[in-house]
Amino acid sequence: MGWPHLLWLAIAWVAVMGATLLCSQPVAAQTAQPPVQPTLQPVTPPDAACRLCHAASTETMTLPSGDVIHAGVDLSAVAASVHGASAAAPVYCTDCHAPRQRYQYPHAANPAQDLAQFQAEIAANCEQCHLPAQMHNPGHLEAAAGSAAPNCVDCHNGHETAPVAALQADPVGACQQCHQQFDDPLLADVHAEVVANFGVGQSCQSCHADEPQNEDARCQSCHSLLTRQLTLSSGDTIDLHVNPEEIVNSVHGARVIQGVQYTTLRCTDCHREQGLRGFPHQPVDAATHRDLTIGMQQVCQECHSDIFDRNADGVHAQHIVDGNLEAATCADCHGNHAIHDPDEPRERISQMCGNCHSEINAQYATSVHGAALLGEQNPDVPVCTDCHGAHNIPDPTTAAFRLSSPQMCGRCHADAELMSKYNISTEVFDTYVADFHGTTVTLFEHQTPNEETNKAVCYDCHGVHNILPVTDENSQVIKANLLVTCQQCHPDATENFPDAWTSHFKPSLEHNPLVYFVNLFYMIVIPVTVGGFLLFIGTDIFRGIRVWVGRQRQRGKDA
Amino acid sequence: MHNAQPQYDRFNLFQRIEHGVLLVSFTVLAITGLPQMFALHPWAAFMISSMGGIETVRIIHRTAAVLLIVGTLYHFVAVAYRVFVRRVAMTMLPGWQDVKDGLQALGYNVGLVKTPPRMGRYNFGEKIEYWAVIWGTVVMVLTGFMLWNPIATTAFLPGEFIPAAKAAHGNEALLAVLSIVTWHFYNVHVKRFNRSMFTGKISHEEMEEEHALELEALARGARLEPDPEAVRRRQRVFTPVATVITIVLLIGLYFFVTYEQTAITTVPRQQVDVFTPLTPQPERVQ
Repeated sequence: MGWPHLLWLAIAWVAVMGATLLCSQPVAAQTAQPPVQPTLQPVTPPDAACRLCHAASTETMTLPSGDVIHAGVDLSAVAASVHGASAAAPVYCTDCHAPRQRYQYPHAANPAQDLAQFQAEIAANCEQCHLPAQMHNPGHLEAAAGSAAPNCVDCHNGHETAPVAALQADPVGACQQCHQQFDDPLLADVHAEVVANFGVGQSCQSCHADEPQNEDARCQSCHSLLTRQLTLSSGDTIDLHVNPEEIVNSVHGARVIQGVQYTTLRCTDCHREQGLRGFPHQPVDAATHRDLTIGMQQVCQECHSDIFDRNADGVHAQHIVDGNLEAATCADCHGNHAIHDPDEPRERISQMCGNCHSEINAQYATSVHGAALLGEQNPDVPVCTDCHGAHNIPDPTTAAFRLSSPQMCGRCHADAELMSKYNISTEVFDTYVADFHGTTVTLFEHQTPNEETNKAVCYDCHGVHNILPVTDENSQVIKANLLVTCQQCHPDATENFPDAWTSHFKPSLEHNPLVYFVNLFYMIVIPVTVGGFLLFIGTDIFRGIRVWVGRQRQRGKDA
Repeated sequence: MHNAQPQYDRFNLFQRIEHGVLLVSFTVLAITGLPQMFALHPWAAFMISSMGGIETVRIIHRTAAVLLIVGTLYHFVAVAYRVFVRRVAMTMLPGWQDVKDGLQALGYNVGLVKTPPRMGRYNFGEKIEYWAVIWGTVVMVLTGFMLWNPIATTAFLPGEFIPAAKAAHGNEALLAVLSIVTWHFYNVHVKRFNRSMFTGKISHEEMEEEHALELEALARGARLEPDPEAVRRRQRVFTPVATVITIVLLIGLYFFVTYEQTAITTVPRQQVDVFTPLTPQPERVQ
């Protein structure tokens, strides 16, 4: 055979091979392929074949557990879901029902034993597009194998996946499928409110996250978002909203006190009942808001027992014991969560007391002490607690208080250093005690401190809360007004009577000179007279001794 | 030795009783008064509390003061009787001779003068004593009245008189007590125990030393009993007058004690509404 025969043989071989190649298309493609269009042809969706069958199928599959799975799929629902027409990128059947090869027809037998396992397998594929499970819902997905923990599909649905916003709008509804606790309307209600009030960055995660939650975070997670109120049996309501910042910034926040580092107080350190029982909380015992507030003082006692004991002796606690529940208890003055140093600034104290004792506080505010405190933050003047005490407040209507009051005023008014700043004499105390009123009151205080006396103490003349400086024309003790003041106890007193009081001055040439001269007179006359007597007596004794000595000598001579 | 010597009558029963009343009232006044003056000294506070507290002490003091005043009134009437009815010489009146006697006694004591003074019924020492008591009682009663009745006093006098009265009352008391404790006690108890104010009789030796002129006058027989008829005549005048004056003075004393209600007995209570909460209740301080 010559080369022309080989050439024609090669050409024939190439032609036959080429034809074979061109003709060997996959059967399905060949059979399902629409007629080939030249260019701009859309690529056939990979799930077109799935759709053709499953759109109208009435087939079912029964798993070994007995669960039945319907093959029919509502494609319009899928199109309407987040994975449908509105999705950012197309989602095909085999993106979720993966791997794709497995789902080629005829499908291989599904190894799932029950519906849960069936779904779990599918749900594992969500991670291809969505956040890894840990970041989203660790509590659920990492539950022990075999537990009833949900997977993506349980909450988000399979084909009718709704937007997350819809879930968030009704978290209770979504969770209620498994969490029958939400059948409890209170629980459902509270959760709904909390979720409705989620702020930026808050989510179910805020409570139900992976790390072991400290008790506080659990309390705060609800209570910082709640706006509702608790209604007690009497009809009183209690605001359940708590701002955790208040506690952190309060005296109960983390701080160093006298070199010791204290951590922030926990919710359950005070709210024991709720801490013990978690949520849902046991009903609150107290019938009225007041009962609740007063009951909480037991909690303060645990740490502040010395103050509590002192307070128990005080007039407020006594009133409460006697049934007058309006009297102040710990929280009334100190607050509950936002507790700050009560004397920062000092005016706080008078405002605080003034909440209940408003008329007295109004008087105080216009008095010499109050005006200085409120007007210029004077640190030297007394505020309510300086005279009345803070916790073991004595009953100021008792004889004992009255008798001890000059000492109380004297604490400042007999302090030379303090008084020199204001040009007030410290003799005020000494001159009072040296005169009739003060001597009597002092003796009573020493000897019979509980006995009533009708003698004047400082505030009988100067006023109680309305003390004015002696430069004020309304002062009770200036000359022009003093007769009226004296007449409170001496109704028959006349014009000259108030001058009988030396006005807190020691007698001198300037003040009460008559008294000064009387004293001077006797300061001379007594020593001179008695000295004269003693002198004369001395000479008489001297003579007596001489006589006696003489007699002794005489006897000696005679003997 | 002086038992053998004659005893002389010196003080009759009335005089001795009068002195007893003076003694008791003065002592009670001193022990209730001086602690009041020094009230806050520990010894004084102790005494006051032992006697039942300051209010009780004041009441005892005033009671003893009334007793002293009654005794003083009696004394004036008794002296008036002796002077106007019995016409006894007024031997208690002081004079220059007493000054000379005092100086002589002083000189004699120190050895500058050879002889002691010869003195009458009441010598300079007793006259000092007597007139000091008169002066002191006047001051104490006047100032005491002012302190007891300050409202009545200040109706007429400036108010400053009250603290001045307090100063005078206390200082005069101190002077009186010191005088008694030094001068009186030394002369009648320490130098020798003179029992005449208790027994009524004085010994010859005491007469020689202290009342030499009186002894002399007695020896001369100078003691004259007044004419009984004259005495009775004078009594007829004296008795009603003295009675009237006494009654008037006692009524005056009664007013002195009861006139003034110085102060109300309990301090007026002001009703203060203590619980006046601000409404609406402000937010608790946060």
